[in-house]
Amino acid sequence: MAPRDLEQQIAALHPASFAWALACTRWNSTEAEEVLQSVYLSILEGRSRFDGRSTFKTWLFSVVRNMAARARRRHWLTSRVPWRLGGAEPDPDPLDALASRQRGDRIRRALGQLPARQREVLDLVFFHEMSVEDAASVMGVGLGTARTHYHRGKLRLLELLGSEDLR
Amino acid sequence: MTPGDDEARIRAALAEAHREDRTPAFDSVWTAAEGGRPVRRPARRWIALSAGLAAAAAVAVWMVTRPPPATGWHPTGTRWVGPTDFLLQTPDLVTLRTLPPLDPAADPLANPPPARRGLP
Repeated sequence: MAPRDLEQQIAALHPASFAWALACTRWNSTEAEEVLQSVYLSILEGRSRFDGRSTFKTWLFSVVRNMAARARRRHWLTSRVPWRLGGAEPDPDPLDALASRQRGDRIRRALGQLPARQREVLDLVFFHEMSVEDAASVMGVGLGTARTHYHRGKLRLLELLGSEDLR
Repeated sequence: MTPGDDEARIRAALAEAHREDRTPAFDSVWTAAEGGRPVRRPARRWIALSAGLAAAAAVAVWMVTRPPPATGWHPTGTRWVGPTDFLLQTPDLVTLRTLPPLDPAADPLANPPPARRGLP
């Protein structure tokens, strides 16, 4: 794929990619932007290549997910280092930071209580309009596993949302 | 409530969760990536972490390979004497410490009895 075409396709998917990065980082927008920037850098440097085995969107989302997982591991590690050196910015819980704000906050909080894979499959299917098969591909799991997370996630989210009217 | 209703609720919930997404401009993110300057953690932290791990490894190696403490030295307080041990100090203890002398003539091993005849 020509670099110009690649950039255009990525630009067209940029809002969706950012939304997906947000879901992968539990709505931490700073971290989501970092993740997206790392994804673009990885593509530009050729470390992530689209091989045509899936749709471009599925491939891009899987790169975003992997990068977010890497960032999460890095944050997990650094948050457990007993000393913090200069430049360590405060890392508040994104869900706490958004607390006491409207209905969206309550929903994000409910989503944040779901296990990562349940949250991811629901976001891919219900927000990004992907099939469960494509979601499985993005998440790097088998179809059966994705279906299990999908069903359990739906039940759990409905339970967490309770009787709240969303429509 | 039907499964369709449930899915509509979840769809609405996800839309609501993403309603306040503030997508950064593509150009800014792309340009920053092109410049190869993603927001990364300072390297100093990793250097400090590596140094700490190396120090811990060095201490572990030293503890494993250091020579054992000199033998012949015993820490104090390792011999415990029970409060009732004095009860074992009986007057008979003196006599029990030595074997009573035996009459050598009565020793069956030193003087075996003669073999009896007429027996197989």
